[in-house]
Order: sequence, then C-alpha cells, then structure tokens
Amino acid sequence: MKKIMAAFLAAAMSVFAFAGCSASEKTDWEYIQEKGKLTVGITYFEPMNYFDENNELTGFETEFTKAVCEKLGVEPEFQEIDWNNKVFELNSKTIDVIWNGMTINEDLAKEMLFSTPYINNRQVAVIKKDNADKYKDIASMEGASVTAEIGSAGETAVQNDSVLSKNYTGCAAQKDVLIEIKSGTTEIGVIDYVMANASVGEGTDYSDLMIVESVELTPEQYAVGIRKDDKELQSKINAAIQEMVDDGSLKALCEKYDLLDVYAFK
Amino acid sequence: MSFLEVTAQLANGFLTTLLIFGVTLVCALPLGLLITFGSMSKIPPIKWIMRTFIWIIRGTPLMLQIIIVFYGPGLLFGWSALPRLMAVLIAFVINYACYFSEIYRGGIESIPKGQYEAGQVLGMTKSQIFFKIVLFQVIKRIVPPMGNEIITLVKDTSLARVIMVVELVQAAQQIVAQKALLWPMFYIGAFYLLFSGLLTVILNRVEKKLNYYSG
Repeated sequence: MKKIMAAFLAAAMSVFAFAGCSASEKTDWEYIQEKGKLTVGITYFEPMNYFDENNELTGFETEFTKAVCEKLGVEPEFQEIDWNNKVFELNSKTIDVIWNGMTINEDLAKEMLFSTPYINNRQVAVIKKDNADKYKDIASMEGASVTAEIGSAGETAVQNDSVLSKNYTGCAAQKDVLIEIKSGTTEIGVIDYVMANASVGEGTDYSDLMIVESVELTPEQYAVGIRKDDKELQSKINAAIQEMVDDGSLKALCEKYDLLDVYAFK
Repeated sequence: MSFLEVTAQLANGFLTTLLIFGVTLVCALPLGLLITFGSMSKIPPIKWIMRTFIWIIRGTPLMLQIIIVFYGPGLLFGWSALPRLMAVLIAFVINYACYFSEIYRGGIESIPKGQYEAGQVLGMTKSQIFFKIVLFQVIKRIVPPMGNEIITLVKDTSLARVIMVVELVQAAQQIVAQKALLWPMFYIGAFYLLFSGLLTVILNRVEKKLNYYSG
C-alpha cells in the first residue's frame, strides 16, 4: 500500500513539475520571439477571420495579421477563443494578442494595451426581413426581445438605450446573435456594422435578415489587444501598421474586403 | 455545405471526443483505485487529505476545473500555457478518478468481512486477499454504477469546448455559426446516441460475462 501511495504522489508531483517547467524572467516580447510564434486570439466571423470555400482561413484580419507578423519576424498562429474569456486568455498567456475586430472600451483599457485603432465602426440593429415594417426606428422596438454579444460594444449600446434594454438577453458570440434572429428566438440583434454588412442580406448565409438603416448606435474603434506589460510589442505592431498605412497596403486590404467606408486613416 | 462535408467535419470533432473519452477512462480507472486506497487509509492524515480532495473535486463543476487547470498556471504564476487538449485531459482524469474512487470504495466496503477472514485462515497476505479474492467481487458489483459514470463521461466531453477544444459540439457549433446551418446541431445527437448505445451493449455483455456466481 505504501508503494502505491508513493507512486501516486510521484505522479501527482510530476504533473505539477510539468506545468511549471517554463517559468522565466524574460520580457514578454522576448518570450514571443523565442517561441517564434504570435498566438492570435480570434473568433470566426466574416469579413474578419473566416473560412473560404476551400476551407482556408482568410479575411481582413487574417491577412492584416499575417502582414504585420511578417514585419515582426514571427509566425502568426490563429487560435479560436471564447470571446467572453479574451482577457483571461491574454493574461494567462494562452494567447499573445487579441486581433479580431476588437472594439476599444474603458473596461478593456484597464486590462490591456491597444494598438493604433485601424477601423472606425458603429453598432447597428439587425432584424428579419419579414419584420421590416414593424421595426422602422428605435421607438417601434419598444418591448421587442433584443440580444447582443455579452461583453461586446453592442451590449453596452443596448444597455445605454432605455428602449432596447427593456427586454434584453445576452448571447455568447456575434454569430449567435444572427442565429437567434434567424431562428426567430429573438426579434432584434445588435452587432457591429462591419460584420452585419458582410454577413446579412442578399447573397449571404443570412439572406432573410436585414440592417435597420435608420437606427444608429455608438461609434467605435477597432484595435489589437496586447498584454499590459508589453510596450515593446505595442510599439512594434504600431510601427508595422504605420508602414502599411504609408505604403497603401492597409487601404488596399480594406478595399478588398469592402471596408473602405470604415477605414480609420483617411 | 453538403451532408457529406458536414459529416466529415463532425467526424473530426468526434475523434477529439473519443480521445477525451478514451484517455480519461484509461487513466482515471487506475488513478481512482489509488484515490480509494488513500480515502480508505488507516493513517488519518492521508485519509482526510484524500477525502477533502474528493469533496473539492466532486463539489465543484467540472467546467470550472477545466478553466482553472487551463488559465490558472498563467494567471497565478505567469507560466506559459498548457496545450488546450492537455488541460482538458488533466481536469477530466482527476475529476473522473474521484467519482470512480467513491464507486470503488462502495464496492470494497460491500464485501463481507467473512471473505477477508477466510483468506486469513488460508494464510494469505493482505494484498493477496485484496487482489485475489476481494477485487474480483468488487469489479462484479460495480459494473452497473460504473456504466452510469462511463455514459455520463461520453456527454461530459462536450465541456471541453469552454476552452475551445473542438470536440463534437464545438464542431457543430462552428458549422452553425459560419454556415448558418442549424441542423448539424441536431445531427450530433445521433453521434452521441449511437456511441452510448454501443457502450450500453458492451456494458451489458460485461455484466453477463461477470455473472459467474449465479450458476
């Protein structure tokens, strides 16, 4: 029995030793450089990070990230995350940056550094086409069920609006918001314009949904989220973004993905 | 996406589900026995440490344990992260070992004292009595409750998606999210039903095989 206990304790200790073998005193950028990989936290949505018909990851952010990483001399490694856990993921080093159309806000600013904002965006309301006559403006949405992604700028916009916040339920991801509307479990969804413009309407998977043009919610900006103690990576990413602005390649990317009207460096 | 493409993508997720299921079972079965020995130990400190450990593991959600194993090392000590699947496996093995250990303990304590006494009369050592007489009767008795836990494990594997391990439910969720197809979410029910059905058949067979005392 003693031998068995000893074996068990040894096994338990080796688990902890294994988990702890890479503790170090390096700076954050040195840690990333040594890995040679920048682990990028993303969720899949068009037009930012999504799979094309050949099942290859593509999109505005995918190409943007790859271009910046090339300038930094590291390989990007895209990792799907639960958007609710993004701060967790960043601080526990399970990812190195959040780069997925992340909207800057005060709460996030306490947890991380931001790159130069590269997109000016806004929140819009999405509904079923069948409801087009029913919901023409904010006032007509009184009492209707509303959803937005938990922790997103859309949620903040809903909570700051006295009409929309009356019958509000959160969702895990922006894509789930669209599914709620499509399946009819919620009537109004609040997501950002970039995503709505790319994934709703004619020729998309959500052709039976539409944006309510007359409803305009908070303006906002997209930036890359970087670990709080890593000013070095921040300045490197900013320099790379500036290079892409100067040589016009970022603008070209925006054009490719139909994002020119939200391009931040006009 | 066609039915075949969806099936192929789901089958990929199902492989991860099977991997979590298989590794958990293979590692937690023996680890559970060790924990049982600890929780039934005659040395009070070992016994109480083990029982507290079992209380903590059984008393908190597996989902929380997965989150702690994965994010904990980085947040608390600044270590670099475990691979996602590894974190899931560690949390599952420890959690299931604790549940198994209580089933083992129930089985061991249900064996009448007379069996031990008979062994002693025959001059067997303590470990001989345990491994040659008691253990086989225990195995026979714990098959139904173990079957329960094993089938629960099949469905619990879906918790791995909290840290974005792409198992069956997450694979379906990705299709739902990206292609706006709703039916794959219902389709995966068939995967789970078939697999747990297969396990039920196997467990019934095992039970029959072990039914050697009733003539």
